[in-house]
Amino acid sequence: MSALDHSAAATATKAATPARRRRRRQRWLPYLLSLPALLVTVWIVIPFFTAIYYSMLRYRLSLPQLKGFVGLDNYLNFLTDGRFWYTVQVSLLYTVLTVVIELVLGLGIAILLQRSTRFNNLAAMLLLLPLMVAPALAALMWKLMTNPNFGVLSYLVGLAGLTDFRWASDPSTALFTVILVDVWVYTPFIMVLLLAGLRSLPKQPFEAAALDGVPKTFVFFRITLPMLMPYILTASLFRMLESIQQFDIVYAMTQGGPGNTLTVFQVESYLQFFQFTNVGRSAALLMVLWAITYFLSNVFVKNWLRLRERAQGVAAE
Amino acid sequence: MYDKERDLIDALARRQIGRREFMRRAGQLGLGAAAMTGLMGQAMNRSLAQDSGFDWKAHQGTTLKLLLNKHPYADAMIADIEAFKELTGMDVTYDVFPEDVYFDKVTAALSSGSSEYDALMTGAYQTWTYGPAGWLVDLNEYIQDEAKTAGTWDWDDVLPNLRASTSWSGVPGEALGGEGAKQWALPWAFELNSISYNRRIFDEMKLTPPKDLAELMETAAKISKDGDGLYGVGVRGSRSWATIHPGFLSGYANFGAKDFNVDGGMLKAAMNSPEAKTFTTDWVKMIQDSGPKNWSTYTWYQVGNDLGAGASGMIFDADILGYFQNNGDTKEKGNIGFHAFAANPDAKQPTPNVWIWSLAMSNFSGKKDATWYFLQWATSKEHDRFGAVEMDMVNPVRQSIWDDEDFKKRMEQNEGYLKQFEASAPGAKIYFTPQPLFFDVTTAWAAMLQRMVAGEVPVDEGLDQLVASIDDQMSQAGLQ
Amino acid sequence: MQHMSTGERLLRGVLITLALIFFLFPIFWILLMSFQTNADILRIPPSLFFTPTLDNYVALITGELKTASGVLKLAFMQNLFNSFILSTASVALSLVLAVPAAYAFARYKFRFSEDIAFTLLSFKFAPPLLVLLPLTIYFQQIGLANTYIGLIWVYQLITLPLILWIVRGYFEDISPDIEHAYRIAGHSWAKMFFRISIPLARPGIAAAALLSFIFAWNNFVFALVLASADKQPVTVGALAFVTASGIQYGQIAAAVVISIAPTLALALFAQRYLVEGLSLGAVKG
Repeated sequence: MSALDHSAAATATKAATPARRRRRRQRWLPYLLSLPALLVTVWIVIPFFTAIYYSMLRYRLSLPQLKGFVGLDNYLNFLTDGRFWYTVQVSLLYTVLTVVIELVLGLGIAILLQRSTRFNNLAAMLLLLPLMVAPALAALMWKLMTNPNFGVLSYLVGLAGLTDFRWASDPSTALFTVILVDVWVYTPFIMVLLLAGLRSLPKQPFEAAALDGVPKTFVFFRITLPMLMPYILTASLFRMLESIQQFDIVYAMTQGGPGNTLTVFQVESYLQFFQFTNVGRSAALLMVLWAITYFLSNVFVKNWLRLRERAQGVAAE
Repeated sequence: MYDKERDLIDALARRQIGRREFMRRAGQLGLGAAAMTGLMGQAMNRSLAQDSGFDWKAHQGTTLKLLLNKHPYADAMIADIEAFKELTGMDVTYDVFPEDVYFDKVTAALSSGSSEYDALMTGAYQTWTYGPAGWLVDLNEYIQDEAKTAGTWDWDDVLPNLRASTSWSGVPGEALGGEGAKQWALPWAFELNSISYNRRIFDEMKLTPPKDLAELMETAAKISKDGDGLYGVGVRGSRSWATIHPGFLSGYANFGAKDFNVDGGMLKAAMNSPEAKTFTTDWVKMIQDSGPKNWSTYTWYQVGNDLGAGASGMIFDADILGYFQNNGDTKEKGNIGFHAFAANPDAKQPTPNVWIWSLAMSNFSGKKDATWYFLQWATSKEHDRFGAVEMDMVNPVRQSIWDDEDFKKRMEQNEGYLKQFEASAPGAKIYFTPQPLFFDVTTAWAAMLQRMVAGEVPVDEGLDQLVASIDDQMSQAGLQ
Repeated sequence: MQHMSTGERLLRGVLITLALIFFLFPIFWILLMSFQTNADILRIPPSLFFTPTLDNYVALITGELKTASGVLKLAFMQNLFNSFILSTASVALSLVLAVPAAYAFARYKFRFSEDIAFTLLSFKFAPPLLVLLPLTIYFQQIGLANTYIGLIWVYQLITLPLILWIVRGYFEDISPDIEHAYRIAGHSWAKMFFRISIPLARPGIAAAALLSFIFAWNNFVFALVLASADKQPVTVGALAFVTASGIQYGQIAAAVVISIAPTLALALFAQRYLVEGLSLGAVKG
C-alpha cells in the first residue's frame, strides 16, 4: 500500500463528508484512468477467438472441399512432428541469444555513456540510428553488404583472410548472420532504455560508496545492477516479445533456410498461411507461439513485480 | 488533332508504314515522343473500334479497380490506360504493390472475400490455389460468348501452350488445359528459361554458349577457374518455389524427370527416379563448383544483378531476366547474348518451364461484365503490341506480335534473342503437375537442394527423404 | 563523481569507438549508396570512390523515376506522409490512453490491477499474423478497412503496451511524498497529475514515445493487409524499388535516409527530455 492511502485515511478522520466523497472517487479513479486504454485495445480478443477457432479446423484455402472441424488434431499432430519441435528449439535459441547479447552490449554502452556530456548525448542519439531503419529494409541492405561480389562486409572480411565466408547462405553461419543483424538493429533499443534508467538512479548510494572507497566492480554488481534491474527486465521483456516473433530479418535474409535451419515460428507460420494457404496449421502454430510468449511474459512480469516491491521496501526503510 | 498526324498514325495502324518510317515522319511534323505514344494509343483504338460491330461503350461510366504488382508489365499497361478509358468510356483505378509483398496482399484481399478489386495480376501456379478456393472466375464462359467478346480479340492468336498452362480442371494431377479445364486467367506476358550469357566474357575467354548440361558444367567451371573474380553460372537458390521453377525444372524435364507420377487420381512424388537423381547430382555439383558463393540466398534479383554487373559468366534462368540486364542501366548493358538450351543431349528440343504473368477476374467483383472488357483490352493485340514495342512487355504472348516487324527489329539488339525464342517456344510450357500443395512441395524441394549443396546430405539419400516427406504431406492432405 | 585512471579512460574511448563503428558503419554505407547510381553500387570490389549524384533523391521527391523505357510514377512522398500520419496519431492516442493508465498501475493497488496491466501487455504478444485474416474480414464488415482511423486503432497494439509498461516504471520511481505535499497544499488531483507527476516522469514518457514512434514507423504488415495502396507507409513504399527489372539499391538507400530523417528529428527534439534523467535523481526517494 502506498503512503497516499494512509494520508487519505488520516484526512478522513478530520473532515468526514468531503473525505467520503474523495474516498469514493479514490476507489473509482484507478479504473477511470486505466479502463480507456483497455477498452480501446480489448477488441483484439474477437479476431483472436476467431483465430482459435481456425486452429481447430482442417482448413486449407486451396482445398475448400476438405474444410472441417478437427478439434485438437492440428495440435496433436505437432507432438510427433520433428519439424515443429525444431521450430520451437530454434525460436527459443534465437530469442535467448539475441536478448542476452543485446542486453550485455546495450548495458555496456549505456554505462559507457552514462555521464551526460555533450559527446555522450550525441553518441547516444547516433547509436539510435539502426533502430530507425525498418528491419525489412535493414535486412535488404545487409543482404547487399554480405553479397560475395558487391558486399562491403564480404570485402572487408575477405581482407581479413576469410575469403570464403558465406554469411546467411551457409548452415553453419546463417544463425550467426541473422543474429548479427538483429543485434545491430535492436541493441539501441535496450541501450536507450537502460541509459534513461541509469541516469535516473538516485545518486546518494554511489556518492557514499565512492567516499568509502568501495571497489568499482562491487558497486556495479551490488548497487548499480540491482537498482537497474526493473529497467533491465522491462527492456528484455519487450525484446523477448519481439525476438521470439522475429520475422522481417530472418525471412528477408534466408526465407528460413538454408535447408530448414532458420524455420522460426513466424517464418514457418507465414509460409503456412500466405504461401501454402494452410490456415488451420498456421493458426495452431501461432497459438503455440502465443502460449509460449504468454508463459515467458508471465515469468518476467512476476519477477518484475517482486523486484519492484523489494525496491520500494528498500526505499521505505 | 490535325489531319496530317491522324493520317500518319492511321497508316501506321494499318501497317502501311513501319514504325521507323512513322518516327521519321512524326519528327518532321514536330511531334514529341510522349505525344506520339498517346496518339498511337488512340489510333489503335480506332482500329479496335472499326474492325468489329462490337459495342466497346457498353459499360460506359463504370469504374474498375485493379490489383497490380510493381512490374514492367503493369507499367506498360498504365502507360496505355488512357486508350482504354477513351475506347470504353470507363474509368480505371489501380493499387500497385511491391513485388516482395504482392502475393501476400492478393491472398489477404481474396481470402477475406473483399470486393474492392475487380481484376488482378497473377501467375499460373497461384491460380492452382485461387481457382479451387473459389476466388476467380472461369473465363471460358466469357471467351465463348460472342456477345461479350470482340471478334478481333482473337484468342487463338495467344500461344497454345500458354493458353493450356493457365487453365486447369482443379482436379489434382489432371493435365493443364485438359478436358473440362477452367480458364482461371488470361496470359499477359511471360518468360521462358534459357541461357543468357555475357558475350564480352565469352569472347575474351574464347568460349561458346553451352548446348547441353555437360557443356554447361564444363563452361561454367572454366569461367570460375580462369575468370578474374568471376563465377560460371547464376541460378536461383533461395528456399522457395522460385528456385525450382526456372533453370532447374527446365533441365529436369528435359531428361524426362517428373515431379509426380499420377496413377488413377493418386499423386506419387517422383523426385527420386533414376533420371531425377542423375540430373540433380549434376545440378548440385554445378552449383558447388561454379555457382554463386551465396547461392542459397539467391533470388531473381541477385541472379540478374550478377549478370548485369559482370560477376557471372552466364545464367540459366528467365530469358527476360537477361533481357532486363541487357537493356537496363547496367555495366554489361548490350553485352548479353541469348541461347536456347536443352540440358539433355538426346532431347529433341528444349523444354523450358515458363512463368506467365496473367490477368484474372475476382469472383467477388460486382462488375464482372465490365471487368471482362478490361481483360479483353489488356490482352488485345493492340495493347500487347504497344507493350512489346514501346515498353518492356516482353515476352509477348501472341504469335502475331512475334511476327511483327517492328517488334523483331526492336529485339534484334539482343543478340540471339529471337533465335533462342524460336527454338524454345515449341516446348515452352509449365512442367509441374498441378496440385493444391504446389508451394509446400516446391519449398521442401528447394530446402532439400540447399542441404545437398551445403553437403549436409548426399543427393540420393536427400531425394529419398524428400519423396517420403512429400508423400506423407500429400496423404495428410487427402491426396493419396 | 567518478575518478578514472588514464588506462580506464583509454579503454572507454576504445570501446565507445568500436561501438560507434559497428552501429554506424552500415548507416554510413547506406548514406554513401544513396548518392550513387546502381551501376556504382554494384561494383566488384565495392569502392569508396564515386561521382556523387542526387538523382535518387530527385526521383523520390519529384515522384518520377526515369528508366530506360520511360518515366515511371512513384508514390514515395505519399508513403512518407502516410507513415507520418499513422505514427504520430497512434503515438498521440497511446500517450493519452496509456500515461494515465500507467499512473494508475504505479500508484494504486486496486482489484484486478495486475490482471488489467498484464492483459494490456498481452496484446503486444498476439502475433499479428494470427489475427490478420479475421481482422481483415471484420474490418470490411464494419467499414474500417482502408481508413486511417482503422489503422491507427490497430496500431494501438504496437504503441500502447510499450508506452504503458515503460512509463509505469518511471511513475513508480517517483516518490509519492512530493505529490502529497502538493495535494495537502490544497491542489486538485488533476492539477497534481499534470503539474507534478507528468513532468517528473518526462524522461520515461519521452523515451517511451520515441520508441513506440519508431516501432509504429517501422511496421508494415498491418497497413499492407488492411489498406489499399494510397495508405501504405514508407516501409512498403521503399520495397517498390525491388522490381523484376532490377533492384534500385540507390533509391532504396535514399528512401532509408529520407525515412530516418523525421524519426531522427523527433529523437533530437526528445533528447532534451531524455537527458533530464540525471537532474531528477535529486527529487527521488
